[in-house]
Amino acid sequence: MTGPLRDPAHRVSRRAIVLWLVEALIGFVLLVGGTAVAAAWLSGARWPPDVLSEHAWLLPVAVGVVMAPFVVLEPLLRYAVHRWELSGDVVYARAGWLSRRWVFVPVSRIQTVDRAQGWLERMLGLATVEIRTASYAGSSTISGLDDKVAARLAEDLARRAEELRDDAT
Amino acid sequence: MTGPPPPAAVPPGGSPPGSGAPEPEGEQFGAARLSPRVLLIDPIRLLPSLVLPLAGVLLAGGFSPASFGWAAAGVAGSVVYAVLRWATFTYRIAGGRLELTRALVGRSIRTIPLERIRGVDVSASPLHRVLGLAVLRLDTGATGGEQEGVLDALTAERAEALRALLLARRVLPAVAGTEHPQDTAQRSPEGQRSPDGQGTVVAAAGEGGEDGGPPRVLARVPRAWLMYGPLSGAYLLTPFALVAGAVGLVWQWRRELGVTEQAAVRVFEWASDRPGLLIAVAVVLVAAMPVAGGMTYALFNWDFTLRVRDGHLVAERGLFTRRAVSLERRRIRGYELADGLIERRAGVVRLWALVTGLGDAKSRGQLLPVTPRPFATGVAAEAVGPIRAPLRRHPPAARRRRLVRAVAPWLAVAVAALLAGWNLVALVALVLAVAGVPLALDRYRSLGHAYDGVRLSVRSGSLRRSQVVVERQAVVGWTVRQTLPQRMAGLLTVVAGVGAGSGGYEVVDAGEEQGVSFAAEVTPEWLAPFLSPRPPAG
Repeated sequence: MTGPLRDPAHRVSRRAIVLWLVEALIGFVLLVGGTAVAAAWLSGARWPPDVLSEHAWLLPVAVGVVMAPFVVLEPLLRYAVHRWELSGDVVYARAGWLSRRWVFVPVSRIQTVDRAQGWLERMLGLATVEIRTASYAGSSTISGLDDKVAARLAEDLARRAEELRDDAT
Repeated sequence: MTGPPPPAAVPPGGSPPGSGAPEPEGEQFGAARLSPRVLLIDPIRLLPSLVLPLAGVLLAGGFSPASFGWAAAGVAGSVVYAVLRWATFTYRIAGGRLELTRALVGRSIRTIPLERIRGVDVSASPLHRVLGLAVLRLDTGATGGEQEGVLDALTAERAEALRALLLARRVLPAVAGTEHPQDTAQRSPEGQRSPDGQGTVVAAAGEGGEDGGPPRVLARVPRAWLMYGPLSGAYLLTPFALVAGAVGLVWQWRRELGVTEQAAVRVFEWASDRPGLLIAVAVVLVAAMPVAGGMTYALFNWDFTLRVRDGHLVAERGLFTRRAVSLERRRIRGYELADGLIERRAGVVRLWALVTGLGDAKSRGQLLPVTPRPFATGVAAEAVGPIRAPLRRHPPAARRRRLVRAVAPWLAVAVAALLAGWNLVALVALVLAVAGVPLALDRYRSLGHAYDGVRLSVRSGSLRRSQVVVERQAVVGWTVRQTLPQRMAGLLTVVAGVGAGSGGYEVVDAGEEQGVSFAAEVTPEWLAPFLSPRPPAG
């Protein structure tokens, strides 16, 4: 990827694709279901012009057709974008798929390091590392890490943060 | 109002034996009660809540001697309660902690470690001032903005002494090392004057003796400048709030006042038959907006004074209720200058400090009310520090993006409405789309960022333009964001994470190269390892 910032060194776990795929599917079902409910309500209502209420069923279909490719696209793009690195006592992480977000967190300013697992992540052997500083804009969440990698990263960060503790918030 | 005496020379105002004069270390400040004079305030404060029950008792008893007896018992009971509450509440400073003990029914001791006290707020209502009392509030930076300790009330001298004592403890270990050497060198040696010569910015006599030295006035806002108040748009809704409050009050007391629902309906009908009258009232209310707003503003910001004392900035203001807020200087990370559209026309601006862990920052962090810009920047430079670099502009792509964002949504609405045949909606949307053009251009003009080696600054916004200046040391991390449209335009948004104020300050729509190199310029050691190798062509 071109741009002023180079890629962080490490990819996340390949199993994260499955995680994001399942999440995208759940989101897709909720979205199409929601628009179907809205369409049913529209076709029953009296205020909209007839053109709208008669063709209301098109709404969920259109949403479904437009969004379906993204269900597959999002996990793949995410896998390409999500990367992380810890070097020079700075955590450098990139996330997103269409929009992107790069975060730089110096270890010396870290206040807490959390490792979290949802039920799906647990089944897949994945974990999320949350790094918090005194500001939301200096905080980072690295998701889709292999459980062991996440454990080691969290451990390293916590230990190093203890050593470097610099109370300049 | 009061010229506060230097902390060391303050007698322990009317405290019971055991509380010696506050020593410099402040280790003992024995158990003490609040000033007994609050007993004069408490019944007055309780009065409104007592009136109704008392009237009820009297009415129910048919004004018989017995009912008077009960009412008297009620009053006596509340006085006894106030006395008991006063007698059983003590506070003391011991072992580095402030302990507030209440032993009325159970026994509760609230312990506040002194190093957690971030600010002390002394205020006095008119009633308090008549009796020479003041209320002391402690800000411990606890979440939720709730004050953890309130001493209501102390004698004014005692409150001053206690404040000096509580704050002195905080400063002692702090001063050395946190001041940046460049910072001191860069401060202007001479005092600055605002162009019209009304307000004065007093220069530091000598940087060395500043903290712990005698209090000194940084800025005193002349009364003539209260005229600028209505420009800020603050309190403009005061007339409506007053009318609504009056209506609400009448409604609440409708039974006592003999107002029935029929009467209300009749008044409503009577008024709706006279549209001229309604319009006149509306005109009067609207015309009263700047006047009433200005008066409310003047009430709150009367004689606004900013002082430096014991390593704290103390902002004092108010006509009836004087309020003094102390902000620990060591915790001040920067400041924010904000002005609305009209204020910008008039060249005036408001000033806030960005403080770590400050609850209710909007009202507590205020360093200056609406004042002319040169004056405000002078005070900010003096109180916190200047920014000595001009703002850098953002690339033309940012202007295109501002325009698209301000115009496109309304244009889309207009087209959709036209297709649906809603002409009025289409017209309104079209007008808004056109109005979006100057707004977008102004938003683009506002964009800018700067770094002078000590502090960074970012500016954005149009209807409320805000420029933030933050010291480099306060940055705890960076976030760089790029949405899909930004990526296509070659722009990105850089957010400096700061553990004060709103937490993050955005450089909106900087060029890709520009934004990243700004972050790399401020904290090279954090970003340098991650920059792309330079392309050979440059």
